[in-house]
Amino acid sequence: MTIKAYWRLDPTAEPGRAEPSAWAETLARNVRPISINRFDHYAQIARAAALTGFDGLFIQHRSDGDDSQIIAAAVARSAPKLGLVPEFPASVGSAVYAAKQAVTFQRAVHDRLGWAIAPDGDADARAAIADPVLEADLRARTEEFLHVARGVHGSQPFDFQGRFFEVKGGGFEQPLAGAAFPRVFLRGEQEDSLALSARHADVHLFALQPVEALRAKIEDLDRLALAAGRNVEFGISATLAARETAEDLQHTPAADIAGTYDLVAAQLAELAAAGIGHFVLSASPSLEETYRVGQFVLPRLRAHQPTLRAAA
Amino acid sequence: MAIDFYWRLPTHGDHATIRRGSLDRGDWSPLAPGNQTPGLTADGEEDGYRYIDHLAEIAKAAEISGFIGGLIPSFPTTDDPWVISPLLARETKSFRFMIAFQPGFLNPVQAARLSASLQRATGGRTVFNIITGGGGPSQLWWGDSFSHDDRYGRTSEFLDVFKGVWKDPGFTYDGRFYSVRNGGLAPLLGAEDIPEIWFSGSSDAALQSAARHADYYLSWLEPYDQLQDKFARVKERTAQLGGEQKCAIRVDLVARPTEEEAWRDIRIGFENVTDETRARWRGQPTDSVGAARQAALRPTEAKRWDELVVGKNLWGGFNLLRGGPALGIVGSYEQCAEQLDELIRRGADAFILAGTPHLEEAYRVGEEVLPLLGRAATAGLLQAAE
Repeated sequence: MTIKAYWRLDPTAEPGRAEPSAWAETLARNVRPISINRFDHYAQIARAAALTGFDGLFIQHRSDGDDSQIIAAAVARSAPKLGLVPEFPASVGSAVYAAKQAVTFQRAVHDRLGWAIAPDGDADARAAIADPVLEADLRARTEEFLHVARGVHGSQPFDFQGRFFEVKGGGFEQPLAGAAFPRVFLRGEQEDSLALSARHADVHLFALQPVEALRAKIEDLDRLALAAGRNVEFGISATLAARETAEDLQHTPAADIAGTYDLVAAQLAELAAAGIGHFVLSASPSLEETYRVGQFVLPRLRAHQPTLRAAA
Repeated sequence: MAIDFYWRLPTHGDHATIRRGSLDRGDWSPLAPGNQTPGLTADGEEDGYRYIDHLAEIAKAAEISGFIGGLIPSFPTTDDPWVISPLLARETKSFRFMIAFQPGFLNPVQAARLSASLQRATGGRTVFNIITGGGGPSQLWWGDSFSHDDRYGRTSEFLDVFKGVWKDPGFTYDGRFYSVRNGGLAPLLGAEDIPEIWFSGSSDAALQSAARHADYYLSWLEPYDQLQDKFARVKERTAQLGGEQKCAIRVDLVARPTEEEAWRDIRIGFENVTDETRARWRGQPTDSVGAARQAALRPTEAKRWDELVVGKNLWGGFNLLRGGPALGIVGSYEQCAEQLDELIRRGADAFILAGTPHLEEAYRVGEEVLPLLGRAATAGLLQAAE
């Protein structure tokens, strides 16, 4: 399987960067219009990812930051080939409306959209966003959300009466019916997360963990997906600290995977050999590290691929 | 007093001419030679352009020719305005995105976060056309089972929460439809302006809700006396509640160098209407009061184009030529400007104009009609002074 690499954008990271409110008083004459802000910076990160060999941009859900779906659309036409995977929780609203929005997105960008469903917040966080669903029902809501979104997307007329969503005579006519459903990314380490992914995910993202533990979960999910008659691919998300020399590493912040370019690439290749095909990577500062990882780590990781194929 | 003129982005494809019903811009009709976005290459392959590429051109045409922005409609068969707006944010400069949406479709706090993010992506160019009525089978298509009047209650609460979390970092609310505890946008988002809110809806429930929340009350064009009455009622009701309400009209124009040319296009367009088109527009079920008022014109029963001339420079058959309201303005550039002047005199503070095809007509109306506004009144005053 060809490895897919995504750069992960955190809209709340480096908060003062590219914001007019953070411009310093200085002797330098400032002619920037105040319309310059982080959206210009997000677009640069998207283009950096596109120009350095990433397959996609994964945009994190942050309730205290710019919305991931607005960012995805705002950068989409600046990076014409890049995959875009905004992350959002199933509390955003109607599943029918989410599916309809996805259709327009897909039509406009030649089917480059993915959906990453974010875990719901705790009770206080949910009360703060007018989400009435109780803790015990959250997974069921996510499941209904995906079921209804896929349902109106894939068939017409689609009828459904659930606990959280209801639709009658739903579904899209041509030309809206022609767009691909977004690739669904889910995550979680527990048995019930794996079970949900077996039914609904295209890609299941794991946290970084020892390869043996990962193998066991991959086997579990493979078995569950097979039973559900589906195929699920696997990914990890990890923060990186990659440098040219070991000495350079002494000055880097902590990360899930730290090492020289060769070493980081080798660790990622080991994960690929264990069945991981999707790598959601991040490092700070985001723009500069996109170039670094894209130019120095990804080529080394991809150079491992012939061996991976031979091993398989 | 300056009047805000908006244009419209057709989110259901467009016609290359008002004379024919074929949707040859976009992919709402089978792809044929001469179609654009997508078009065909010399080899007969799709050329890779998408309808969004055409919408981008219309938005740019509108901002270049003097429109403040454009309405982006939302129906089951259209593309979606919440996606179109951020897609086009970075390639337009002053165009305001007027997003049509029904509050029930989004969580109100999420809607506030989306909106504030879009404000940041566009430099504050977001405007809302809040839709609440509509209804009938399409409401269930959208996954919304609320009754007509409940939807207005929900819209009011939605906007309470939407504005509440935007301005108040510790916002708490206990309503019939929404509850919030200690909500609020992040400071960077909350610092943005709340988008201007335009309301539509002709029922009593709508007017009440508009009085509380809307900056603009939007109506389709109706017979002028009826419209003047409605605007007066809306303004009076809002004043009783201690607010102020501006009124706006959404109307299509066929503006040509001479009146004869304008009516000629209408006549040819009418003669090209197929039985299938008449059947499609006849008896569309809806519980929208505004739609019912327009249906009373019964354009689908007309045998001749001039049966639908309902007043000077007014034609009641536009819905036969393209989706949307029936009543529109037809005339020379001067006559179209005079009609708009008359509507301003009767209480209109803003307009959403449109013409087919939307790109070329944005230039025409922006360059030929808008500069004539107010001239007739000035000429009249000069005459009186002589």
